[in-house]
Amino acid sequence: MSALIEVTAPAAVEPSRWAWRRFLRHRMGLVGAAMLLVALVVAVFAPLLAPYDPYESARVTILDIYQKPSTAHLLGTDDGGKDVLSSLLYGARVSLIVGFAAAAIALVIGGLVGIVAGYRGGWVGSLLMRITDFFLVIPDLALQIVLVAIIGPSLGTIILVIGALGWTTTARLVRSQTLTVRERKYVMRARAIGAGDAHILRRHILPAVLPLMLANMVLVISLAILSESTLAFLGLGDPTVISWGQMLNFAFGRGAVSAGAWWALLPPGFAIVWVVLGTTLLGTALEDAMNPRLKRHHLEAPGGDVAHDRPVLDAPPPALEVAAPILRVRDLAVEFDSPEGPLRAVDGISFDLRRGETLGLVGESGCGKTTTVLGILRLLPPGGRIVTGQVWFDGEDLLSLDGRALRSFRWTRLSLVFQGAMNALNPVRTIGDQIAEAIRLHAPETSKAEAHRRAGELLERVGIGRRRAREYPHTYSGGMRQRAMIALALACEPDVIIADEPTTALDVMIQAQILELLGGIARDFGMGIILVTHDLGVVAQACDRVVVMYGGGLAEENEAGPLFATPQHPYTQQLLLSFPDVAHPDRPLRGIPGSPPRLDAMPRGCRFAPRCPYVFDRCTVERPPEYPTAAGGRATCFLLDPNEEARR
Amino acid sequence: MSEPLLLVEDLVKEFPGRRSALDWLRRRPARPVRALDGVSFELRAGEVIALVGESGCGKTTTGNLLMGLLPPTAGRVVLDGQEVGRLSGRGLQRLRRSAQMVFQDPYESLNPRMTVGDIVAEPLQVHRVGGSRAGVRERVDAALTSAGMTPVSAYLRRYPFELSGGQRQRVVIAAALALEPSLLIADEPVSMLDVSIRAEILNLLSALARERGIGVVMITHDLSTVAAYADRIAVMYLGRIVEHGPTRQVLAAPRHPYAQALLSVVPVPDPAARRRPVILGGETPDPSRIPSGCRFHPRCPLAFDRCPIVDPPLYTVGPDHHAACLLVENA
Repeated sequence: MSALIEVTAPAAVEPSRWAWRRFLRHRMGLVGAAMLLVALVVAVFAPLLAPYDPYESARVTILDIYQKPSTAHLLGTDDGGKDVLSSLLYGARVSLIVGFAAAAIALVIGGLVGIVAGYRGGWVGSLLMRITDFFLVIPDLALQIVLVAIIGPSLGTIILVIGALGWTTTARLVRSQTLTVRERKYVMRARAIGAGDAHILRRHILPAVLPLMLANMVLVISLAILSESTLAFLGLGDPTVISWGQMLNFAFGRGAVSAGAWWALLPPGFAIVWVVLGTTLLGTALEDAMNPRLKRHHLEAPGGDVAHDRPVLDAPPPALEVAAPILRVRDLAVEFDSPEGPLRAVDGISFDLRRGETLGLVGESGCGKTTTVLGILRLLPPGGRIVTGQVWFDGEDLLSLDGRALRSFRWTRLSLVFQGAMNALNPVRTIGDQIAEAIRLHAPETSKAEAHRRAGELLERVGIGRRRAREYPHTYSGGMRQRAMIALALACEPDVIIADEPTTALDVMIQAQILELLGGIARDFGMGIILVTHDLGVVAQACDRVVVMYGGGLAEENEAGPLFATPQHPYTQQLLLSFPDVAHPDRPLRGIPGSPPRLDAMPRGCRFAPRCPYVFDRCTVERPPEYPTAAGGRATCFLLDPNEEARR
Repeated sequence: MSEPLLLVEDLVKEFPGRRSALDWLRRRPARPVRALDGVSFELRAGEVIALVGESGCGKTTTGNLLMGLLPPTAGRVVLDGQEVGRLSGRGLQRLRRSAQMVFQDPYESLNPRMTVGDIVAEPLQVHRVGGSRAGVRERVDAALTSAGMTPVSAYLRRYPFELSGGQRQRVVIAAALALEPSLLIADEPVSMLDVSIRAEILNLLSALARERGIGVVMITHDLSTVAAYADRIAVMYLGRIVEHGPTRQVLAAPRHPYAQALLSVVPVPDPAARRRPVILGGETPDPSRIPSGCRFHPRCPLAFDRCPIVDPPLYTVGPDHHAACLLVENA
């Protein structure tokens, strides 16, 4: 599993509930909703709230015009001697009616265009999108003015014109969402079942598109309200209704400025800002909560992921002997924030890595293997942090580094090749350029020509050949891109390469090529390699030593030979039994019943106890410590307790 | 056991190729991509056949043709005595009921907004089978039970995100079983699952074949996952079956150099048995440029002078065991 899935899986929530939570986290969105609610209440109850009825024609004397605010007229009177407050309250009705009605029209047109364009595709889709582009580039306001002027200003016309011109963003949004959903596997599966278009649209496309449309609608409402105000201000409003724009228009046109009657100008302006701001805040928050494409990737995370209260060892770093490990991980623990409190994804893992050694980090998805290496690299996703432990790298404490030092460390001494890394190459630059750039970043004194020469050598080393250095990533196949990524990782001559599922998405033949390559690199360059994988076959093939993880902790560690020959931990044993072996096709395979524990429901005792065939009382109440095994490794299982009494 | 459940004869599938600007200037027609180039095999009820090969070998295209999702360019697929490619409308609807597919990615192939019950009921609603609500419920229960999702009531109202990968794949299988198909096509059914779960899903599929007489076509790139489950293996290379035979024989003594190489690179969970892998150079070749003669000769470690000239047919190399290689011509 990719890192992203692995770390988000435990905290996964039903999509709609998840969107709701995201929305609630937006304070501004709540403020916006409250502002809009106030406007709605005012519009609905205007007749009750307003002290006067602005639509009532009253006899006006010169003294009634532009009266200052008083107890009789809280916001004064306007050019017609009418109460400004009452007009303001009634004006909310027009603004909101126009806003909602125009947005509804825009939504229907935009939704239809988007769904048809996205679902049908082909020339229909292209044509519809070109039409959308056309509407997107013509200036809305100018066209609105022209259309309203031609057809004649009435509320209906204004709604129609604003709605008919405001659907473009909705159409584009809906189309892109429809396109993604249409390509989803579950839609393919529905097709394979024999479902027709109507069924797929109703059951699969619409439920995915509607929330987005809703979020978008709120934004369209704010635009529509603004458009209506603008039109009314320009004198193109419906003369028979009172709207905020209309009020501004009359005030400006009929001498409010020269009369100094600020009360006729500011309140409608304020009302417009109030509603538009409210809807925009709400719409942005909704969009952020529901539009999946606005999420950030966790690899953008900064380095501030070490808990401040992490206990720091005052002891000097372990002495550097000749055969000292290059990387020492001690008691590393990583927690993730969740609504239910912190969840421990990695719980005190320790291991060493020597130069020239390939270490396998094995376990099922969710066991914390990827989180462990992300913790070592200090690339934990937001919400994750290292709570205890040390990571010594060649005598330096990695967890105390920050900012620049950490970044240069990551590239130059410790490189990461992750799953799907082949898609991480820059598509618009040649492979050779990208490798040469990495070399020069690492050693700025290298000349350009020298860097390119070395890039060629590296490509040669990973079996691509220097001739292809001038090509762009898209001409490379998946396996070649993965090899180019390894060349890129080698460019800075790191001491350690961490490869996270480097072969998972690749064919067996390519997998064999990559594994052979990694093995050769460890040998030739004396690098340490950590190979993170769920595939025991890959481990047996490529690793010298193995760390088996389960539920965030260590299950067993040993040299590869004895680990496969005489596994000590029941989990390792069961895992080996469930692994297919072409050499012995007759051996029946046994899966491990149950599934790995979730982070939010970690067993109190041994993490493997619920699935363990040898479980006894002690296992369910106490967590087993690490015991040395007869085979020379260590394992966390009470069956290895030297005290006979303790084993029951 | 006379009439096979599924008969595939000389299946050819071509996709229109992209015409490059250069081709266009030279007025050269687009080069068609020959994804399948004469594939034949039979499957009896209750039998499991594995189609094995690298990506681009045509195994997934074969699956799509068997499902009637794509029309064949030439050749035919006969399922239950009905020719798949000829069907349309009602007939195709009926076929969709007898052939069901299990997809690779259980994380992606379930709609996150639907409950397990709705997902399994969906095919019944699409085909209007099961009648009343109670009838549908009964079939959903039966399908979930067959897929090992018991007690059913504990899962009906769950959403996919609440299930583990293995459970999700069981839901996919249950949805496929709801229509009581006679053929299941499983495209990499376990490659996205954890190792400890794989055996259970594979055991389930082979139990369905054995106990219910469902024919299973398993499509995979990984020989090790099918070793213990398939009755027969068909190794595919560039749109052809290059070796075909009973699983034991193919694994014990592969005759085609490609099958030998493919077998040699399968990781074995035994560090002591690090074998000499035959690592083929290069990637899977491009199906728009199929080499002359034997299509494997540019990558074959054993190629000799006749290989680029003669396109070898499938020679019989043992009981029900065939290989398309000139080296076994006289075996």
